[in-house]
Amino acid sequence: MKSIAIAIAALAFSALPAAADEECTVKGWGLSGEETACFSAKVVDLLCEVTGDCPEDCGDGKRQLGLLREDTGKLVYPQKNIQAAFNGPVVDLYPHCGTTIDVKGSLVGDEETLKGAAQLFHLHQLRPEGGEWKKANDWVKAWEKANPDAKGKGPWFRRSPRIKAEIEEGGYLGYGPEEDVEFIKDWY
Amino acid sequence: MRIILTTALAALLPLSAQAAPTGERVTLRGELIDTWCYFSGVMGGPDAVVGSAHHTCAMWCAAGGIPVGMLGEDGETYMILKLPDDDESAGGDTFVELTNDTIEAEALLYERDGLKYLVVSEITSNEGIPNRTHEDFGVIPGFAIPDAVVDKVLGAE
Repeated sequence: MKSIAIAIAALAFSALPAAADEECTVKGWGLSGEETACFSAKVVDLLCEVTGDCPEDCGDGKRQLGLLREDTGKLVYPQKNIQAAFNGPVVDLYPHCGTTIDVKGSLVGDEETLKGAAQLFHLHQLRPEGGEWKKANDWVKAWEKANPDAKGKGPWFRRSPRIKAEIEEGGYLGYGPEEDVEFIKDWY
Repeated sequence: MRIILTTALAALLPLSAQAAPTGERVTLRGELIDTWCYFSGVMGGPDAVVGSAHHTCAMWCAAGGIPVGMLGEDGETYMILKLPDDDESAGGDTFVELTNDTIEAEALLYERDGLKYLVVSEITSNEGIPNRTHEDFGVIPGFAIPDAVVDKVLGAE
């Protein structure tokens, strides 16, 4: 019994935030309710963690991932990576799903929109166990690799075949190209 | 001591090895929104980043893997983990296609650590985009429609 208690105590100590003794600073983006946050967390498949629907591959990088904080035990929702190109953090987090990592970033959201809900997380950097800190900026590179035929000028969101197809059919406003034309004539 | 040990060991088990949580069956109506721009304020106030004004950006964000949520009629935001036959919540096609649509849906509602999550089993109606925010805000961000497209339309006048 004593050995089990010691083992549990050891596990509890290992759950202390690894980043807690380091400087917790990130460059803010001027966001609503932005609060710098650094913590250790287990990367989890959110659908699995919340509902019990758990494939073996952690969602294969196609499901949203969560951060189960080791210091509070709370599940935190990471919404965004560090790239300013409309990218989420799953590409950065998926290689670490099921493991515990350290993260630096910001909790985001204020009462006007949250209405009492928990803030969400803007992931700036992560560090795998025993590894080095790296920026959460893998999305665009992964997209370019997965879309070798989407060449041309401009950022990925101008070249994405499925975005282009959606706009071709629904227009920029969602009402079809004809209404775009009327809007442009009126607004510009 | 036995209770403490049982609790501690249970906490170490993955959720899949524990009893699966049960959701509450709900029927909700609301707009499928880009949750990053809505919560972060990165592009302005919440009224400007919903509806038609933000439709192109919301598609970019959904395709980029940013979470899609439902802004319910009750003003609450529900994070969508699954749509019918599509659990690819990080950039899946259904999530991109439905951005800014106002839908009514049958779903299971889960609450965890201050957030509400939806697993949508059926979309019972889809009104398209009744929230015509472009009439007040134009497009958000302003570069959503490329200059070349604007110039082409205006040049054709």
